[in-house]
Amino acid sequence: MIGHEWMAPLMFGGLVVFLLFGYPVAFALAAVGLAFGFIGVQAGFFEFALLQALPERVFGILSNDLLLAIPFFTFMGAVLQKSGLAEELLEGIGQLFGPVRGGLAFAVIIVGAILGAITGTVAASVIAMGAIALPVMMRYGYSMRVATGVVAASGTITQIIPPSLVLIVLADQLGRSVGDMYAGAIGASLLQVLLFCGFIAALALMRPALVPALPPEARTLRGMALAKKIAWGVLPSIGLMFLVLGTILLGLATPTEGGAMGAVGAVINAAMHRRLNWSMVWQSSEATMRLTAMVIFILIGSTVFGLVFRGLDGDLWIEHLLSDLPGGVAGFLIFVNVLVFVLAFFLDFFEIAFIIIPLLAPVAYKLGIDLVWFGVLLGANMQTSFMHPPFGFALFYLRGVAPREVKSADIYWGALPWVGLQLLLVAILIAWPELVTGMLDKVKVIMPGDVMIDIDVPVYDTGGFDGFPDEPAP
Amino acid sequence: MQALLRISRGIDALSARVAVIATACVLGACAISAANAVSRYAFDLSSNAWLEAQWYLFAGMVMLGAAHTLRRNEHVRVDLIYGRASERTQAWIDLIGTLLFLFPAIGLMAWLAWPMFTGAYAIGEVSSNAGGLIRWPVKLLLPVGFALLMLQGVSEVIKRVAVLAGRRVVEPDHYERPLQ
Repeated sequence: MIGHEWMAPLMFGGLVVFLLFGYPVAFALAAVGLAFGFIGVQAGFFEFALLQALPERVFGILSNDLLLAIPFFTFMGAVLQKSGLAEELLEGIGQLFGPVRGGLAFAVIIVGAILGAITGTVAASVIAMGAIALPVMMRYGYSMRVATGVVAASGTITQIIPPSLVLIVLADQLGRSVGDMYAGAIGASLLQVLLFCGFIAALALMRPALVPALPPEARTLRGMALAKKIAWGVLPSIGLMFLVLGTILLGLATPTEGGAMGAVGAVINAAMHRRLNWSMVWQSSEATMRLTAMVIFILIGSTVFGLVFRGLDGDLWIEHLLSDLPGGVAGFLIFVNVLVFVLAFFLDFFEIAFIIIPLLAPVAYKLGIDLVWFGVLLGANMQTSFMHPPFGFALFYLRGVAPREVKSADIYWGALPWVGLQLLLVAILIAWPELVTGMLDKVKVIMPGDVMIDIDVPVYDTGGFDGFPDEPAP
Repeated sequence: MQALLRISRGIDALSARVAVIATACVLGACAISAANAVSRYAFDLSSNAWLEAQWYLFAGMVMLGAAHTLRRNEHVRVDLIYGRASERTQAWIDLIGTLLFLFPAIGLMAWLAWPMFTGAYAIGEVSSNAGGLIRWPVKLLLPVGFALLMLQGVSEVIKRVAVLAGRRVVEPDHYERPLQ
């Protein structure tokens, strides 16, 4: 008979093996959970009643108002993408900044930030910008490495720019309010955009040949025509972003309602541009349905895993393991950041959020770490990983859409300075947590009493961390 | 084998039909949720029934869409090994995974979820919110969704066996890492 103290490590090992096997994560997670659940029942570590709590847990996930934001944000992103938003944005902003040295690169960064805030998917941004902006930059003499680097980097800054879906999921899993999560992420995302723009500005000053301005013949729009292009192509998208973000931050709408209004807004935007048709709407909603089912099934699988893992005192084992690291809080943070950085090569955001974060959050909480800051830090860390050669997802997507003459070596070398900038951001976040936590206090001071930032979301246990040690079900 | 492949095609068609309902749930949820928000802030009107309808539809898109998502091979994997494996190896992984992971896990979930529905149906459980909806329809979605997923698993097994037997009649969908 295997001793009780070995069960949790064995189960964790089983998880790694089952996941590596390559069968869909959702079912592998549930299978590990149930296999060890039966072992646990047989060995008398807990009662079968523990497993009977599962349907209620699944029901709790399905009736969770906050998770309902997932399809809304996904749908909004899909509609905006299919209605040619990225093209409009890049053309408008590219023409606006074109005359300046490095102008196209600035445009890519800004468009990346806007697209990221709305769609929150790395792939959509990288693919759109890689397909549109990269050929233009190459034609007008940009250095290949600068061009590929700025596209990959701007595509990955989606993670922590509010009102991104990523922050909502993190808020759910960390047991913090979405409003706090958004407020905390604002400083970090602004700093990130500034760092990127600063780098391009420095290049424009010191190595102008790498980032030339658009020649006069390429500036097709001027004066009123340009203003009209901006008003028509750019403002609605930015307006939509602030509508969603603003109403949520001001406490006027819950994230779910904000997402739903964003979704309707995206459809209206498409109608205004005469790009609305039934097949586009249906395709968007079908893609949304499949992504939602996929994501929620990971969460269902991880709930099964988590329930049994806690039943076997796995949470205590992890906590013991991580709080005994040399260096206390600093040691924990270094370990966690390196771990997530490496895992993000192989796991996507939802897998990390639903499998890894529930294991880490209780330990972070016990160590007195601010969970909003922790979430923003992990988000910044993951996006670094997404563009780190040779595994970063963003680089794969870019490779997929880049013209043939772009060499993989250019993409890899081009990414390096941006990885450096991302790491700088992570370092700054660690050195000055006030950048995140300071925003929380400030927003609360500005809006006392009558307007609450904390949005009243019904609390259901979705397997995430709710701020308090989870009681195993009786 | 021919008969089995006909069954597989039938199951695929069923999953696709059900997925149409799940897709409609997305549109319905967007419209209802946006309308709820507007009516609450503009007219100070809110109804628990409409608020609950939002997540009933959410449950619908997840539970009724999961089988079709499996058919489209869009449940995310850790493709470190899978992505580099030959088509035959991938078929073996899927076959073993469906038999050892999906069937027992989802089967048990369906079996555990059934009493939750019958219990709610027997007592005519209604939401505890004033004016809330009756509960059994949404609780029925769980066992039904899990059962549809099992059924789709049967179809996937047939398709993988066909691939391994060298019968290229029905191609399983190729796996691509979902865009993230």
